[in-house]
Parts: sequence; structure tokens; C-alpha cells
Amino acid sequence: MNWSDIVTTTAALMQGFGVVMMLFAVTLAAAMPLGFFLTLLTRSRFAPLRWLTNGYIYLMRATPLMLQLFFIYFGMPLVSDFFKRLFFSAIVCAMVGFVLNYAAYFAEIFRGGLLSIDKGQYEACQVLGLNKFQTTVRVILPQMFRVALPSITNESITLVKDTALVFAISVPEILHYAKVAVSRTGTVFPYMIAFVIYLIVNTLLQLFFNWLEKKTSY
Amino acid sequence: MELIQVKGLKKSFQDTDVLTNVSFSVNKGDVIAVIGPSGAGKSTMLRCLINLEQVDGGTITVEGETLVGDGTYSEHVKVKNITSKMGMVFQSFNLFPHLSVRKNLTMPFMQVKGASKEDADRLAESLIGKVGLSGKMDTMPSTLSGGQKQRVAIARALMLNPDIMLFDEPTSALDPQLTAEVLNVMKQLAADHMTMLVVTHEMSFARDVANKILFMCDGEIAEEGTPEEVFRHPKDRRTAEFFGTSSGNRA
Repeated sequence: MNWSDIVTTTAALMQGFGVVMMLFAVTLAAAMPLGFFLTLLTRSRFAPLRWLTNGYIYLMRATPLMLQLFFIYFGMPLVSDFFKRLFFSAIVCAMVGFVLNYAAYFAEIFRGGLLSIDKGQYEACQVLGLNKFQTTVRVILPQMFRVALPSITNESITLVKDTALVFAISVPEILHYAKVAVSRTGTVFPYMIAFVIYLIVNTLLQLFFNWLEKKTSY
Repeated sequence: MELIQVKGLKKSFQDTDVLTNVSFSVNKGDVIAVIGPSGAGKSTMLRCLINLEQVDGGTITVEGETLVGDGTYSEHVKVKNITSKMGMVFQSFNLFPHLSVRKNLTMPFMQVKGASKEDADRLAESLIGKVGLSGKMDTMPSTLSGGQKQRVAIARALMLNPDIMLFDEPTSALDPQLTAEVLNVMKQLAADHMTMLVVTHEMSFARDVANKILFMCDGEIAEEGTPEEVFRHPKDRRTAEFFGTSSGNRA
């Protein structure tokens, strides 16, 4: 493998990198708010809603993400024509699967964060006259987020690596291009380039979260 | 003028009767010390006044408005309106740890009153000066001592301009030196004619600052009167016993 091979391979892998970053960004941006919403539902006064939400979280955490992806991409189109059109594109299936799955994990992380908040915080808010919304947004959420931050870091790094799973539903991500390049060049180098790409992404991610933890500590 | 009237308050947690029959009244400018043994229901009584606990029976009237009448609560908006006339200071301070001292004071004020940042800052600076912490305006609560935290908590409660201040064992988490700085701020408030209801174990504060003592025991007010009457000439056997065991090391 010569320099021009390395450059072409890296360029090809960077196409996959774009897909990975998109999946990563969409999942984080959608799964975190959805996860927090699920957390609120698990604290609902209406018991059936709690059961339903807890059941959903349990299902998502107790079954393989790969199976969930297969179910959406290969399974759902068999159910009806509507799903056939809805889940036609592999990348759409990947995003739907990841958001649904990661929302359940974020719900658990946020639940832990909420449990760590002292009852006195709610009481202080009440006697100061803050309403429920103000209490949640101004006092509870920032503290919950700070407590949950190390777990969110962990989850984000796992997410970057988990994107490799969509290889199995034929989304052209990094692994896909690496495998093609390995067959073409007959060398191990494309896999090594893939290693380096993941390492760089997760190192940057870790540095970002370290900075965020420092900045938000109190 | 009567600011608070409490009649026949009852409250139990599961099988334990915490308040059996509590009645008293608070006049404008009163500084009332609520004393008594642990488990007497002092804190519960205070928390009922500001709706942190729900009573099972009895009547609470604040400035002529009924918070709860014979065990039935007024509607939500009225309850909120009534409790907003009171400020509360907790044993564990309950400052917002993620906000600076400044924001601990200004955030609730701006949110609740819809005030501008400039007005909030001006008031916060004057109140934080009043509790002697002018230099600490932009520090985080975690860098403060317990006594400083409690003084910030007092300033935060004062931001909302309450007519009545409730103190729930404000110095119980502090060592004697820090206790003194908090008590000094409270004495200052009393001198400014703030109406105060203070649950405390600080007998010297009760004796020197309060104009009225409520001695609580077994979920009721066993005795009430001026500090002179309650400390020197207790009528109730339980009051006498309480001072018999506690005056030696606390008074």
C-alpha cells in the first residue's frame, strides 16, 4: 500500500465518516429530549402511563440494538405498504432505531440525575413562589444535567462506536468503506485507518466533555 | 394587628400524631420563638403555615385570608397568594448550588415578580450588604461557610419582600461561631420590626430577642407567654422539665 492508496482509502472512509457524524448528531439531538420526556412520563401521576413508559424503556434496554434495527429495516416493510414506504431508506431506519433505543438509555440516566436532587431544592422553589415550569427549567434541569454529565459522556462515546452496527442494514458508514478497500488493496491498512478515525473522534469527544464538566462544575 | 391565626391544627404522618391541637396567633412585629423537645412538632407546624405540609384538620388564616378552613384548603391560586406573604429559611439553607450568590437572589425575584435585571441587581446588592456579604456577590455557594450560606438564604427570602419570615432551625447545622453571625442578622431583622416565627434551640436568642415564646410538646402548645413568664415561671410541668434538663448547657 503506497501513499496514493492511503489518500484514496482515507477519502473513501471520510464519506462513511460523514454518515456516522450525521447519525451521531441526529441521535444525540433527538434522543436526549425524548429521553427526558420519557423520564417525566415515568414520574406521571397516571399509573398506566408509568407502566407503559417503564415497559418501553425495559424493552429497549433488554434487547439488542442490532435486532431492533433489523426489525425496523427488514421486518416493518413486511407489515404493510405504509411501513414499506416509511422504512424504505436504510439511513432513515438507522436514525429511527438509534433515537428510539438511545432515548431509553438517556431516560435512565436522567432518572438517576433527578433522584440525586435534594428535596430541599423543590421546597425552596415552592416557598419562593416559583411555578412548576420555572422550578424545572431554572433549578432542576441544570442540576440534573450536571449530575448526569459523566454518564452522558460515556453514552456518547458508546454511540460513536455503535454506529458501526448500521453496517448490517447496508448503510455505507466507515466500516463499509474500510471493508471494500481491504478487498480492493488486499492489505490491512484500511482497517487501521478506520481505527484511527474512531480514535480521533472519541478523543475529541472526550476532550469536549472534559471541558464541559469543568465549565459546569459548581 | 393579627397577621396569622392558627386554630385547632391537626396533622399526622401515618399512625403518628405530630400535631394534635395547635392554636396560636401572631401579631404584626412579633418575634416568636418556638421551642420544645425534638419530635414536638415544631418544624411540622411551621411547614404547615407555608403549605410545605398539608394539615388534616384546623384553620390557618394569614392577614385575614383563609389558607385552610376547618381542614379544607382554599383553591390553588389563593393558597399561592397567601404563602407568598411569607418567606422561609431552612436548616439546610437550600441555596441553588448551580447559581452564583447574585443569581440565587435575582433569579426567583425576576421569575416571580417579572422584574428587570437592573432592579433585581440593585435590590440584591442592598440586601446582600445588609447581611454583611457584599464581597461575595459573584461567588458560588459551595465556596461559602455555613453561616454565610444561611445569610444568603435570608437575603434571598427577603428579596420577595415578605410580611412574615419563618425560620426552621436556622442555626442547627452551624457551629457556635457561625451561629452567632446568623443570629446577628436575625436580631437586625427583628430590630427592623420584621414579623418572625423562629423554631430554635438557641435559648439565649429566644430569651433576649423574642417577645413571645411558644413551648411545644407532644404535638400541642404546652405553654405560651413572654420569655420572662416561660423561662422564669413555667406553669406546665413539661416546660419546667425541659428547662431542668436543658438550661444547664444551653441557656
